[in-house]
Amino acid sequence: MLSALIWIPIAGAIAIFLLPLTGAKAKSAAIAVATVPLLWSIYLFTQFDLGNAGFQFHEFLPWLTALGLNYDLSMDGLSLLMVGLNALLTLVAIGSTAQDTKRPRLFYGLLLLVSGGIAGAFLAQNLLLFFLLYEIELVPLYLLIAIWGGDDKRSYSAMKFLIYTALSGALMLAGFLGTVWFSNASDFTYSAVMGQSLPLQWQLGLMVLLLVAFAIKVPLVPFHTWLPDTYVSASTPVAIMLGGVLAKLGTYGLFRFCLGIFPDAWALASPYLAIWATVSVLYGAITAIAQKDIKRMVAYSSIGHMGYVLLGGAAMTDLALTGAVSQMVSHGLILALLFNLVGIVETKVGTRELDVLNGLMNPVRGLPLVSALLVLGGMASAGIPGLVGFITEFLVFQGSYRVYGIQTLLCVLGSGLTSVYFVILLNRTCFGKLDNKIAYFPKVTFSENLPAIALAALVLFLGIQPNWLVRWGEPTATDMIAALPATPPTLTGSVELADLPPAPPLP
Amino acid sequence: MATLTEPTPTKNVIPPSTHPFADIIHRLEAGGSMLPDTPENLKQIIGIYKAYAVPMDFYWRDLLYIAERVFLDPLPAFKYFLPQSYLDLPNHYAGDTADLRIWRGEAEAHPELLEFMEKGELGKKLPKIFHHLWHDRVNMEFAEACKQAMLWHQGMGGRFNDYLYTDEYKANCDQAIAAYFKGNPLMLTLHKHFPDLFYEKCRDLSYYSNLGLFWEVMAPVFFEMSDIYDEGGFKGVPDAMDFLVNGIFAVAGRPIYHHVYVGDECFELVPKSKAFTWLYEAALPYVEAVFYRTAPFRGTKSYNAQAHEVPGDQKDFHYGILYADVFPVGSAGIPPTLLMQDMMHFLPDYLRDYYDDYCRGDDDVLIQLGITFQRSMYNVTSAVIQALRTALLYPLDDPNPEHRLANRQFFEAQMDRFLRPEARLRDIQSQDYR
Repeated sequence: MLSALIWIPIAGAIAIFLLPLTGAKAKSAAIAVATVPLLWSIYLFTQFDLGNAGFQFHEFLPWLTALGLNYDLSMDGLSLLMVGLNALLTLVAIGSTAQDTKRPRLFYGLLLLVSGGIAGAFLAQNLLLFFLLYEIELVPLYLLIAIWGGDDKRSYSAMKFLIYTALSGALMLAGFLGTVWFSNASDFTYSAVMGQSLPLQWQLGLMVLLLVAFAIKVPLVPFHTWLPDTYVSASTPVAIMLGGVLAKLGTYGLFRFCLGIFPDAWALASPYLAIWATVSVLYGAITAIAQKDIKRMVAYSSIGHMGYVLLGGAAMTDLALTGAVSQMVSHGLILALLFNLVGIVETKVGTRELDVLNGLMNPVRGLPLVSALLVLGGMASAGIPGLVGFITEFLVFQGSYRVYGIQTLLCVLGSGLTSVYFVILLNRTCFGKLDNKIAYFPKVTFSENLPAIALAALVLFLGIQPNWLVRWGEPTATDMIAALPATPPTLTGSVELADLPPAPPLP
Repeated sequence: MATLTEPTPTKNVIPPSTHPFADIIHRLEAGGSMLPDTPENLKQIIGIYKAYAVPMDFYWRDLLYIAERVFLDPLPAFKYFLPQSYLDLPNHYAGDTADLRIWRGEAEAHPELLEFMEKGELGKKLPKIFHHLWHDRVNMEFAEACKQAMLWHQGMGGRFNDYLYTDEYKANCDQAIAAYFKGNPLMLTLHKHFPDLFYEKCRDLSYYSNLGLFWEVMAPVFFEMSDIYDEGGFKGVPDAMDFLVNGIFAVAGRPIYHHVYVGDECFELVPKSKAFTWLYEAALPYVEAVFYRTAPFRGTKSYNAQAHEVPGDQKDFHYGILYADVFPVGSAGIPPTLLMQDMMHFLPDYLRDYYDDYCRGDDDVLIQLGITFQRSMYNVTSAVIQALRTALLYPLDDPNPEHRLANRQFFEAQMDRFLRPEARLRDIQSQDYR
């Protein structure tokens, strides 16, 4: 049941590689392929048992049992949301791709490979399988950035992304190996209790490894420096995948593996995590204000918004974690919407510079619908009520305020700063007078607008009916919080190696 | 790609101009227009003249109707509902009854105009009030804005405006007012105690008549130019300009007057006997007021007069079509969108096809045709400048260097008005300005 989400995109990718399709046909084929996992995800939503907080739709195939690596898939509410987001944004990314993209078969094929791999990572119940799928994204993404990137720095940005993510993978592998060895697990099968048998110091050490690994992927300050370069260099569809889905692999990893496997260590570290989240939020927002390139501005805003997710996790309340999980989806939708619109602006106007753009709201020669949707996306990102960004941020703040009041208030301030830079962006880009010396922009066709319209509709709908978003992650979040210690543990004494359980013999 | 074919310059007897618009001045000295002579420009301006002439055929009839019949109606709700008698009013420059037959067509309202008035843009025959309320009609508001510009700027030369403040004019007004408000003691009392109120309204209406009589000439001129072009008659932009210059001189003496009809009785507020003529009392003030000056359009752009964004002196106003930013949010002194909307209904097929090939085709056709209109009005202004030069100065091929220098100074003085950055003279030199 779950394998379809992985193998349909991959099989589609291989077919697109092999078939002699031209640009428009390759795009149609890719859309057709990407539609299937989306429909399948919707079906899974209808079949998902909300009363069951555990994993569902289990699939298991022995693979390399000697290594402890098995094809083990399953999903809970968190995975379900992430898989749905991945399927949707893959379709949006393909829909946002220019018709005249060079080497279209390779492009769409790689995009589908990434999508299939990400779906697998969200579903993997085996740590090694997760690692493999996490790492396997690197090659197609590197190529997607390096070949189809939009500026002169694309090779540099792709290499930077590769190095950072490879480092992230190495730390993650070390964390997983340590967890399995020291916990005497028989294989790499994910278990929420596998880390709890370890002494707290060891839990903390292993969790820090994973924390840094996933913090790079999210990214959180100060591991973020790859993000602005990569997002800006990447073409619009790749930026959508990077910001909308790939970043969620990081936050997913934080919750699934750091919080899930090491709840005691997570509880111990949570005050520092809340501070870290606050720093990320404020840094992202303040840096975004200083940007002159609207894509870079949106990229920095992403850093800030991912801070809310960490704050929600650090607060360790049902409400905050539910908000954080919902924020992952909300951020994915809003960021994809913004990147899509920025991409259209760049394609039509030929620049992303705030100092050049003006008056795009002009109804005749401007990009009025794009501008209107940009206003909506900016409002959603700034957490304006009635849009999905508000409800998810509100849940996080509501849930975290009683635990980390000051950090939460500072994050609310960050939300206010979001309004500042979006007002700057919208005021300079959409409003004012369009200069008719340059205003000969090509018309935006309906098919070009369609992905943004669909995303905007979803942002609006989920803002009005947030339960359609929140209810899927709520049981899982509640379950995760229940596993956390009632009172935060404290580090006492020192740990001798002899105290540790003996590591299992290497296979 | 259109090729530029400059008029052949006459023999140089004076050194080249050093004016920033020297190229354009040399073109004018060679008998050309401010608008470059390209087939594309010719097609655009003739096409838009035709599209302008059809609503203009309504404008002049309705302007005369308002000036002559609606007059001082305190609630002129139906002043745009032109009666059949005014639709049938024979144009003095078209048809068999013409004083001077400029257009070979009929003297009554143009068939395309009648068809549009009947079915509108909707293409359905509905009661006139529905078309009106749906704004599916000819926008007289544009014509009234032009009239308002002429009234407001005044003092642009000529004697017409001065006459409106004479006792003779006021006495004529008194007679018409007394007849119009006969049996209406309220209005008569109002006029007795506040006479300036209705005098000022009469002056306003005299400008309605002035502009109506001006456009009565221009509509057949533009129709005829369109027909000549369709027959392959114009070889270039200078030909079109020359036709306008000849037309200007042919009708220059046409009387400008204001008659008011109350029942069967006619009151001459501005009698023909005052000998106000078309060129000096209507055409030149019109060009000055509408093409150059007008007023900041009350659109979405705000002007801060206290910050000197609006000139302190009316003669320095520069909001006319020659300076207009044709974008709907722009600065044209006349409501440009209304005129564009009117012209859009009557575009010839070749111009519609032309617009389809550029920018956003049908989606921004209003802007494209607005810019074409701007080009065409630069050509009309060129004709006026050449006509003035002909009337006041020397022939272009005059062998006397002093005469040629006088012509040069005249052209340079005219071009000085386009040195300000808002002027679109630089823009129209390029075919890419759309």
